[in-house]
Amino acid sequence: MGERVPQNIQNLVIRDFCEKNNLFYNLSVSEYSMPNSYKILDQIIEELKSLDGIVAYSVFQLPMDNKKRYTVLSQIIKKNKKLYFALENMKLVNQEDLEKIENMWLIKKTLPNCLKKI
Amino acid sequence: MSLYLEKYESELSKKFIKNGYVILKKKNLTNLKYIRSLIIKKSAQILGIKPPNDKASEKFLNNIHKDIKIKDLNNFRLKIIKYMNEDKNFKRNYFYSAKDLLFTLVGNELAMQSRVNLSIQLPSDKSSLLPVHSDIWSGDSPFEAVVWLPMVNCHSTKTMYLLKPEKYNKIHKNFSKYIGKSSLDFYRSIKNDVKWIKINFGEVLIFNQALPHGNVVNKENETRWSMNCRFKSLYSPYGDKKIGEFFEPITLRAASKIGMHYHLPKIND
Repeated sequence: MGERVPQNIQNLVIRDFCEKNNLFYNLSVSEYSMPNSYKILDQIIEELKSLDGIVAYSVFQLPMDNKKRYTVLSQIIKKNKKLYFALENMKLVNQEDLEKIENMWLIKKTLPNCLKKI
Repeated sequence: MSLYLEKYESELSKKFIKNGYVILKKKNLTNLKYIRSLIIKKSAQILGIKPPNDKASEKFLNNIHKDIKIKDLNNFRLKIIKYMNEDKNFKRNYFYSAKDLLFTLVGNELAMQSRVNLSIQLPSDKSSLLPVHSDIWSGDSPFEAVVWLPMVNCHSTKTMYLLKPEKYNKIHKNFSKYIGKSSLDFYRSIKNDVKWIKINFGEVLIFNQALPHGNVVNKENETRWSMNCRFKSLYSPYGDKKIGEFFEPITLRAASKIGMHYHLPKIND
């Protein structure tokens, strides 16, 4: 969402998160850099059967589009898998988590319309 | 702007602005006792000792330096921080212990720091010092306020200090005079103008983190235990600490939810 952190730093944060949460870090993948591309994410969700879940660097890497984002999150819950967000130390397991993530997103999208300067 | 605040709200707000802090004595200690029991339970578990009963809680925490060495303190502290922040009800109890103050002084649609901090200051320990600083100088937003909860009675050097607002205003005007000074020199130049916060377990402190504050070596013969957590109005400006990575919404209101989901209907030609 308009923020860019180098991939090697993202990987460090993800590795650290996995270590602290006793998660087995299996394989790292990167999304295509074209705007609004979620091809890789869609592909991982397709192949989730063979994985325990996904660890993303940040919750704000999810699709910007509300419908698309909701679909992605719902698919993961339906498949009984977990999606973690390392930077925010958050996880998606159930509908309650989904609503928490959605609230965070909607607030983030609203903030540019609020008072910004200190 | 504050036209419709209740009388007690106006008075509390004036006090907060004038003094830079407010202390509230809690009538009901349920939330605070929940928090204290968590840290006692984990401390006892780490140290392999039997946790004390409620009456002996204060004594147990005050005397923890008899069971722990300074070199092990940070690991001990980090384990407790992890434990308390993972507890499902911890943050809710933290918020509720200060809810009335927060709703009056900060707002009723709030963001809360995702991870609450814990300070443990053993007697004579020089490794846990927090040199004088203003949180705003290191990236916090001036729209935040800190809720500080003592887990033991804090006084004298076993507490924190805060520079009085009227004194800070003078420093603010001549700030370039202080640039280049070490934090120790800075502290020396303000030490006669700071307020040492005397506060007991059962009381809640909320303070303006823009005012320089810190602590010194604890020269009392008891250990200080305190927690701190930042709160801000959800839609007020953020500093370097953003929603998601540092803050999380905790009291999102219905009208905001409706507004955030609203789209004007499309008109087809």
